[in-house]
Amino acid sequence: MQSSPLNVRRAIIWIGRLVLAGSFIYAGYAKLTMDMHPRPPLGVALSFFALQVDSYQILPSWSVMFVANTLPFAEIGLGLLLLIGWRFRIWATLVTLIMLGFFVAVVRSYALGLQINCGCFATPEPLTIKTVIRDGALVALALLMTIFAFIEARQPHPWSAPEKAST
Amino acid sequence: MNHRRILAGSLLLSLFVAFAVLVARAAPQYSPDIPDVDPHKAFGSKNAPVTMEVFSDFQCPACKTLFTTTNRRLMDDYVGMGKVYLIHRDFPLPTHAHSRVAARYARAAAQLGKVEPVEQALFQNQEKWEQSGDVDGTVAAVLSAPEMTKVRALVKGGALDAAIDKDYALGQTYRVNQTPTTVFHCKGRTYPYSGVMTYDILKQFLDQLLSQK
Repeated sequence: MQSSPLNVRRAIIWIGRLVLAGSFIYAGYAKLTMDMHPRPPLGVALSFFALQVDSYQILPSWSVMFVANTLPFAEIGLGLLLLIGWRFRIWATLVTLIMLGFFVAVVRSYALGLQINCGCFATPEPLTIKTVIRDGALVALALLMTIFAFIEARQPHPWSAPEKAST
Repeated sequence: MNHRRILAGSLLLSLFVAFAVLVARAAPQYSPDIPDVDPHKAFGSKNAPVTMEVFSDFQCPACKTLFTTTNRRLMDDYVGMGKVYLIHRDFPLPTHAHSRVAARYARAAAQLGKVEPVEQALFQNQEKWEQSGDVDGTVAAVLSAPEMTKVRALVKGGALDAAIDKDYALGQTYRVNQTPTTVFHCKGRTYPYSGVMTYDILKQFLDQLLSQK
């Protein structure tokens, strides 16, 4: 059965792509520029982000630096890949796993009562129940987007040419 | 089909570029002049390239961790070497019953040049006086009797609250709402950070700040 061009699943996939791509690209960009103009040197921005990663008290020092030096670029790259749609299911799965990781870290810190900033974007934002709810909503969206993308991939694309009748 | 995808991708990419340009035009952030510095609660050279204002609460466990771990190495390696000017700011949270009293005692001791042993005693014995409320006894254990008499007189005088309130109000201008919060100033920029800092990671950040041309 052919999928309709406009159905709920496709709408959620598109909303997920736009929201998650926008969030990831902005998050990565904000970490690199710290919302400052002119932007601070890259080393300063990355080492400041390392402080934010470290505040979660989950990773050892060497991996804190690794995460801080790679995550902002990975966020921008994944956001762009979601927008472009090339090998979409792979990147959607990866984004969902990363979002799950963020969500676990945020819930753990909130449950432990750590007085820290989220470190999600450039501006200092205390980690509160609002952060937990927002991250939870994004995880749910990422999960739905990915599951629906796999379901839709099993069906013929609505814009594809109809199959020729066999003779 | 491919044309539609390329078109959609290009459109979204253009939207992103427009968004990025808007973000890049964000207002510049320059650090304000650092007001109301109590010289008794500031350490290192005023001319140091990096200034750190640490807003803390004597009853906050994370502040204790910061003070008893990272702060000591910071004092030796950066403050003592003239690289960092460290300012202790009081930010007694209203949820903590005794933190303002502790801040008064620390301020009073600071006026006698005894801030370091008193801050150390307050943080190291935090669990004890938090339960008993005996801030006076905790401070008395590290000061001589004449010093303690002066400290008690200053605390009872009531003039210390004004200085504490100034620190608190300053913290609010930086949007401090939790402790410890450290505000770094370097080369006209301000970097506010909340939470405990591991020394190794803080060192990397300070070295990056100091290496800026």
